[in-house]
Amino acid sequence: MPGSRAYLWFIGPAIILMVLILLLPIGIAGALSFTDYSLGNTSANFVGTENYERIFTRTTYEKMFGATFRYVFVVVPLTVLLGLGAALLIHSLTRFGDLYKTIYFLPMMFALIAMAIVWEFAFHPTIGIINATLERGCGTWLEAWDWYAAECDRTFPLWLTDRDYAIWTVAFIGVWQGFGFNMVLYLAGLTSIPGTLYDAADMDGAQSGWERFRLVTWPMLGPTTVFVVTISFIRSFQVFDTVEAFYPQGGGPSKSVYVMMFAIYEKAIQQNLMGIGAAITVVFLGFVMFLTILQRWLVERRTHYV
Amino acid sequence: MSKIVLSGIGKSFGSTDVLRGIDLTVEAGQFVTLVGPSGCGKSTLLRILAGLEAADTGTVMIGDEDVTRTRPADRNLAMVFQSYALYPHLTVAENMMTPLKLHDLGLAGRLPFVGPILARAEHLRLRKQVHRTAATLKIKALMDRKPGQLSGGQRQRAALGRAMVRNPVAFLMDEPLSNLDAALRVHMRSELSELHRRLQTTFVYVTHDQAEALTMSDQMAVMMNGQILQYGRPSHVYSAPASLEVAKFVGSPAINILPGEVNGTGALSVMGRALIPDTQLARQPVSVGIRPEHLTLDPDGPFKGVVRHRENLGSDIFLHVQIAGLERTVILRSHPKVLAGTGLEEEVTISALVDEVHVFGADGQRLRVARPSLVEVA
Repeated sequence: MPGSRAYLWFIGPAIILMVLILLLPIGIAGALSFTDYSLGNTSANFVGTENYERIFTRTTYEKMFGATFRYVFVVVPLTVLLGLGAALLIHSLTRFGDLYKTIYFLPMMFALIAMAIVWEFAFHPTIGIINATLERGCGTWLEAWDWYAAECDRTFPLWLTDRDYAIWTVAFIGVWQGFGFNMVLYLAGLTSIPGTLYDAADMDGAQSGWERFRLVTWPMLGPTTVFVVTISFIRSFQVFDTVEAFYPQGGGPSKSVYVMMFAIYEKAIQQNLMGIGAAITVVFLGFVMFLTILQRWLVERRTHYV
Repeated sequence: MSKIVLSGIGKSFGSTDVLRGIDLTVEAGQFVTLVGPSGCGKSTLLRILAGLEAADTGTVMIGDEDVTRTRPADRNLAMVFQSYALYPHLTVAENMMTPLKLHDLGLAGRLPFVGPILARAEHLRLRKQVHRTAATLKIKALMDRKPGQLSGGQRQRAALGRAMVRNPVAFLMDEPLSNLDAALRVHMRSELSELHRRLQTTFVYVTHDQAEALTMSDQMAVMMNGQILQYGRPSHVYSAPASLEVAKFVGSPAINILPGEVNGTGALSVMGRALIPDTQLARQPVSVGIRPEHLTLDPDGPFKGVVRHRENLGSDIFLHVQIAGLERTVILRSHPKVLAGTGLEEEVTISALVDEVHVFGADGQRLRVARPSLVEVA
C-alpha cells in the first residue's frame, strides 16, 4: 500500500526506546558537560568549554589518561593472546577439555568485589601468599635476575600500594579475569572451521602446526578476532570494580590507578560535580567510539567471512 | 607415473569395521572410480590413500615406495574435495600458489612481503606455472577473485587448478561433482574425462553416483560394507555383475529381480514359467536379474501384468508393470514409438532377452549359466 504508515508501528517502539534510554541520556550528558551543574541544584551556569579545558590541562586528568591507557594496552593484547592460546590448547585436547574450559572461565563468573578481597590477601605484604612465595626463591638461581636479587635484599614490592606497580597489578587481575571469556569466543570460532580446510592444507604441504595455523586457523578466525578485540577494548575501558574495591578513596597510590570510569564516579557521584563528570563521560565515549570504528575498519578490510 | 597398490587395508572406528581387508591396484594413468552407497567406506579408503587417515592394517604403495607411514604432503598426491576446501581468504591465484609455495620455497622465500624479493626467480617460475594451469582450465579471468565471489562450477575449477598446479602423481577426488546442479554435473563429467586424457595422470575418483562411475572411469570398484565387491571395466561390471548387490547398485533404473528356480534337470524357471531349458546348474532356488532394457512387450511373452505407472523421458519410456504374484513392479524400458499405444492399467505380456539374464545363487553370487544361443523361450 503506497502512502501507508504501517512501517511506523514496526520501527516505532525500537526507535522510541533507543531515543529514551540511549540517545537522550547521551545528549543530556553532552549538554551538562558545558555547565557546572550539581545534583539537587535547580539551575546551572553555562561554562563553555571550561570542563574540557580542565580535562586536557590538569595533571589529575593526565594521570587518568595514563592509567586508563596503561591498563587498556596491557589487558587487551594479553587477554586476546591468552584467550586464543588457551582455546587452541583446549581445542587440541581429546579429553578433559570441558574441565579446563570451566577452570579458565571461572574467574569470569565470580563477583569481582569478592575476588578483589581474595587478591588483596594474596598481595598482602606480610601475610600474602605471593610475596611469601617469592621470598622462597631468594638465594637460588633466580637471583641471577638483577631485579629479583635487588628485591631480595630489600623486601618484595607492596604490589597494590606501590605507585610503580599498582596499575600493572590491577591490569594483571584484569587479564586473569578476562581471558576466559575470550577463550570461550575463540573456542566457538575454532569449532566452526571446516575440517576439510585442514585436510587441504595437509595435502598442499603444510608440514608444521605453525603453517596450518597461518594458512587456515588464523584467517578463518578473522571474524572472531574482530569481535574479541572490540569487546576486549570496551571492557577494559570500562574497568571500575577492581579499582573501586582496592582503592575506594582516590584511585590508588598517587592516582596511578585513576582510570576513567573511576574518575567519572568520583567526580560526578562522590563530589557531585556533574559538569566535569559529564565531560569525562563524553571524552570516554569518544575514545571507545574512535577505537571501535578504527579497528573495525582496519581489521574488517582483511577479514573474510565464509 | 607410477602405479598405486593398496593391500590388506583395514580400518575401524571404535567397534565399527569401516574397511575389511581392501586390495586394490591402480595402474599408472588409469581413471579408477570407487563407487558405493554412502557409508561403504569409499571416502575412508581415499583418505587412507591420501594419508589423511592412518590404516589399522595393510600397506599403501605408490610406485615402488611404501608410503604407509608417509605424511600426505610427501606423497605428492593432490586432492579435490567435495566442498572444494578453497582457502576463503586467498584469491584463486593465491590458492593455486599455496601448494607450490609450501613445496618449492624455502623458509626465506615464504616470508610475507620480503619473500618475493629474496627468492625472485623462484617466485616468477611458480607464478608462470600457476598461469599455465589457469590457461589449461580457462580460469585466467577469475585469478584475482576470492572463492566467495565464484559460482559452484568456478570454484570446482579453481579447486582442480590448485590440485593440478604441481603435477602430482595422482589426483584423488572425493565426490567433486555432488555440489553442482544436474546440468553442470553432466557437463563436468565429460570435462573431467577430457582432462584425464590430456594429463595422462592417474585419477582415483570417489562417488556414490553409479552414472559417474560408468561414464568416466577406465576401471570401477563397487564397494559395499567395507569390501570391494567387484573391480573391473564399467561395461563389464554393468553387463556381468559379480553379485546380486552389485547388480542392484549399478544401473538406473535398477535391475529387476525376480524369484526363480533351477530344477533337477537344470532348467531355469521364473515364477513357474520356463526361461532357460538347460543351465547345467544343480537344483536350487535362485534370483534372476533382468535389466529394464532387456524386457520387451511381446504378445506371446511368459509374464502377464498390468501397467501401473508410465515415465516418459523423451528418449525412453519406463513402464512399471505389476506382475501377478510379485510385490514390486518390474520396470521395462523401451522407445516411445514402441510403447505409444500402451496406456495405464492396460494388460500387457512381457518376455525377457534370455541372453541378458543374470542368475544369482542363494548366497547372492553370480552363477555361470550355459545358454542356448539366442533362443527366445516362450
